[in-house]
This record gives sequence, structure tokens and C-alpha cells, in this order.
Amino acid sequence: MTANADARAGESATERQDAGRREVFQYAVRRFGVYLFTLWAAITVAFFIFRLVPGDPMNILLGNLTRAEGRQRDAEAQEAIIAHYRQIFGMDEPLPAQYINYLRKAILGGLDLGPSFVEYPAQTKDLVFRRMPWTIGIFTTSVLLAWIVGTGLGALIGWLQRSRLSQLAVVISTLLQITPVYLVALGLIIYVGYTWRLLPAGGPYARHLQPEWTWEFISSLLTHAILPMLSNMIVIGAGFTLGMRALMISVLGEDYLTFARAKGLSPFTVLKDYAFRNALIPQVTALAIIVGATLNGTFIIEVLFQLPGLGTLFVQAMGLRDFNTMQAVVLFSIFAVLTLTLIVDLALPLLDPRIRRTA
Amino acid sequence: MRNPSIIAGLIMLALILIVALFGPALLESTLFQGQRPGMRGSYRPYQLDSVEHPIGTDGDGRDGLMVFVSSIWPSLQIGVIAGATSTVLGVVIGFLAGYARGRLDTLSRILIDMVLVIPTLPLLLMLAAYIDRWDLYKLSLILGLFGWSFVARVIRPQVQSLRERSYVDLAVLSGENALEIIFLELLPPLLPYIGYVFSLSIVGSMLAEAGLQIIGLGAGGLPTLGFMIAKGFRESVIAIGLVGQMVLPAGALIYVFLALNLINTGLDEVFNPRLKTTVEGA
Repeated sequence: MTANADARAGESATERQDAGRREVFQYAVRRFGVYLFTLWAAITVAFFIFRLVPGDPMNILLGNLTRAEGRQRDAEAQEAIIAHYRQIFGMDEPLPAQYINYLRKAILGGLDLGPSFVEYPAQTKDLVFRRMPWTIGIFTTSVLLAWIVGTGLGALIGWLQRSRLSQLAVVISTLLQITPVYLVALGLIIYVGYTWRLLPAGGPYARHLQPEWTWEFISSLLTHAILPMLSNMIVIGAGFTLGMRALMISVLGEDYLTFARAKGLSPFTVLKDYAFRNALIPQVTALAIIVGATLNGTFIIEVLFQLPGLGTLFVQAMGLRDFNTMQAVVLFSIFAVLTLTLIVDLALPLLDPRIRRTA
Repeated sequence: MRNPSIIAGLIMLALILIVALFGPALLESTLFQGQRPGMRGSYRPYQLDSVEHPIGTDGDGRDGLMVFVSSIWPSLQIGVIAGATSTVLGVVIGFLAGYARGRLDTLSRILIDMVLVIPTLPLLLMLAAYIDRWDLYKLSLILGLFGWSFVARVIRPQVQSLRERSYVDLAVLSGENALEIIFLELLPPLLPYIGYVFSLSIVGSMLAEAGLQIIGLGAGGLPTLGFMIAKGFRESVIAIGLVGQMVLPAGALIYVFLALNLINTGLDEVFNPRLKTTVEGA
């Protein structure tokens, strides 16, 4: 009898597991579908926003050219120049045709986004790929480090909520969190970089070096990366600290924690297995929410620290009114934000069995 | 509204508003009688701090303090106009999305999520490339147009949850139409929350504006705090010794953000009383 019941229980457990796996799979497929649709829609919105804005950017471009040359060309030559620019930027056709062309070239043409102006005649695609590692490197490293440090600190502060020290930590993190990332960057550049000369604060590596696999180059690269990453980390880390603290405090008020303590578990076990784990899930979701804002901040940081990333590329392109390159960077940002959000969303069921079942 | 955070935040805002509105005139009638401190070339540029020029003069030969004080008002204006634009748009769209059911609800949710993920900074910069001449209102409106999705995203679920309450059912049964329900039943309880979102939007807009200025692509020539910081950085005024010309505008921005943050904390507690008990009584 009992053996039979056990077998039946075991059977239904595996069945349940299978059903669970199927649900996770369905969730992943559905989430991926939403991802593709949003990606397409966001690119479309971005495409049309610009083309529907009143005003002709070609006139600005022509104005720049005239100023650079220092003389006015006759009307016929101006027309020819504008026509040529329109052709380079694919703006010489009616709007729907432009749109179809843009998508066709971008998807079927292997990300063919036309020539760039910044490094003419280099392809925009190559330019973006060359600059991308800087942006991705600074962005991911600083976000991950900030997340780890902030989550740990926040858990600790939330755990020790009544102590003086943790109250002080809350005030400091609040101040840091509301400070714009570029002000932190400016402060670090001016004081740490130039006034006290502790760390380099401009350029990707020392000017006399060439990229190569030597210790000298790598250490120069790393020391130059400290301040840009630190600017990002301070602000994001403070946000994560405060978020985790609030989560910890609300988890600490739950009944199951009182019960865990009443069972006589050690405070460390309660903290690690009961409080921390439950507070962690919204904290991972928070990671997905800050992606967009942090990417914006990283672009500004690159410009301030003169790093050759996408933000700097964008600013250069903007000076030349290089629409192909500007569009490519916008495309990259949309893709990056959506993809990172997707990764976080797909990772969530691994952390939280409840989502696995209800998704 | 006897919430201490809100009161503290409002007092802080009132103080800086007074400085912004009356500061320039006050300075002109006391410290700079008969001079034109805000005019280019009034003084020798880059003078160090002195009694006549408490934070020195800037690269254009204007008094630094005068430039600082008169930069506050435009910054605040941009924040409020842009914040109001995105809040109004976002609340309208969020209410429509939250009140609608079925297809329309799904569609609006997808639309909001979609606009939400579009990264704003490159878009703003690209718009700047298309627009030839900026002015304060144009810039504020554009910043506002980019902020609504966040507002709509957070308002929608609030409306949805309120719509399911029994007092709303009662209103439906007693024959109120959709507009009456929205304005008389759903809007009033959400007002503190809308205030909270408005204040967040102001912060977002001011942040974006100063950010644009600092990478040198803002509405050039608009005399805002961000512009003063950017100018100071480009002219390395700190190396010259004019620390105040960067620290004051940066401090003023952080001060405004802190005030709004205090108001937000308070409004959040008003809207969500459980927050207060869990934080303090846990």
C-alpha cells in the first residue's frame, strides 16, 4: 500500500516537473516573440520620429559645408550637393520606400547601414563594431560590480537597520543616488585626475602606447578605466544599496522570518537562506530597469573621459551631421537595452521557482 | 499633508525659487550698483574670487555669481515645463490604457513598453541635429515628449487596481458615465501618486537637460545650470582657481534633486501608508 502510494507520488512529481519544464519553455518562447516584436517596433518608431520632424537637416549640412569652405557655391551646385547627401543617407526616396530599404539592408544586407561620414568611406557597421567593445566593457563591468557591491551593502544595512552606521550609510547613498552620474564623473576628473593627479582621467590609455599584449599597455588600459567605471559604479551602486535595503527590511517583517528565528536557526543562516534569497529577486528585476538610463550615462561618461566608445562616436557623427552613424548608434542602443532586458527576464525563472510555475 | 519630508522638501524648493526669482535683481541693486554684471565684457575675464566678485568672473567677462543666480530660473523652468508635459501626457495615456479592457488594453501596454525601452539620449541628440534653433520651450517640450512612457507605465497598473474596487462598481451601478468615473472616482485617490510621478519627471528632465549641455550638445546658449557647469569644465575654471563657478551650479542641481527626493519620499508615504509602518516598525 505505502509503496504504491510512494510510487504514485513519485510519478506525479516527475509529471509535475515535466509540466514545469514545458511551461518554462513556453514562457521563453513567448518572451522571445515579444522581444522580436518590440525590437522591430522600437526601430520603426525611431526611424519615423526623425523623418517626421519638420525641418530639413540637409540645409544644416550644407550650411556646415559652406562655413568650412568659406565660400558660397552657386544654387545649382548646392542642389547637386544636397541630392548627393540625400542619396548617401538614403533619403532620396518617398518615406515608405526609405523604410523598406532601411529594414531590408539592415536585416538581409548583413547590417548594411551605409557609409559613414566620420571615417569616410568606412562602413558604418565596421565603425560601430570597432567602438562597441569600449561601451560594452565599461557598461557591463561597472553595472555588474555596482550590483554586487550594492546588493551586498544594502543587505547588510537592511539587516543592521537600527545601528548608527547603517543610518549614516542610508544618508550617504541617498545623496550619491540623486547626484547625476556626469557630475560624479566631472568631480572625479577634476579632483582625482587633475588636481591630485592620482589616476589618469582622459583617453583610453597613455598616449605614447600602441595597443599590444604587453603588461605596460594593459596596465595603462586598466588604470585609465578605473575612473570612468567608478563614476558609473558610485551612482548605480548607491541605487542598488538603497533598493536592497528596502527589500531586506520588508522581507525581515515577514512571518516566515520570525518562524525561522523561532526555530533557532543561526542569524547567518536566516540572513543567507531566508532573507537575502527572497529579497534578491526584485533586485534582479531592478537590474533590467536601469539598463536604459545607465547606457545613457555611459555615453556621457565616454565623452567626458575621451574614450573611443559609441557615445563619443555619436558626438563626432553629430558634429558632421552623419545620419547613417547616428542611426546605427541608436539602433545599437535599442538592441542592447532590449536584449539585456530579455536576458534578465529569462534568467528570472531560474532564480524564482514561483515564476517558473505561474509564467 | 503634515508629512515632515514633504514640508522639508517644499521649504527647500521655496528657498531656491526665491533666489532664482529675486536673486538677480537683488544682486544688481546691492553688490553691482550701476554695473551690468550679466553682460559680456563688463569685467576682465577669469578674475579670482574677491569682495567685488565672490566667485570670480567667467571667461566672457561676466560676474560668476550673477551668472549662477540667473541660471537657476531657466533650469527650473525647463524641469517644470518638461515634467508637466510628460506627466499630463503619461497620465492621460495611462488612464486610457488602465481603464480600457481587452484588445485595447493589450495594445496600449505593448505601445507603452515599446516606447519605454527606446533609449532617449541618442534620440534627443539626434533630434538636436534636426532642429536648427533651440529655445527653452522647444527643448522642454521635446524632453517632455520623451518622458511620458515612464509615467504611463506606472499609472496604468494603479488605475487598473482602482478600477476593480467595489466603490467603483457602485458608481457604475448608480449610473455615472466613464468620464465621471475617471474624474470623480479614479483621479482623486491617485493625486498624491501623480504628484510623486510629476516630481520624478522634473528630476528626469533637469537631469537630461544638464546632461545634454555637459556633452556639449544641448541647446547652446540657453543659460542653465548645466550650461554653466559645461562651460566651466571646457574652460577648466577649477585649474584657474575658480572652484565656485562649478561647485555652485553642481551643488544647486543636487540641492533641487534632494528637495524633490524628499517630497517624493513623503508623497510615497502618503500614497502608500504601509511603507511607513514597515520601514519604521519592522
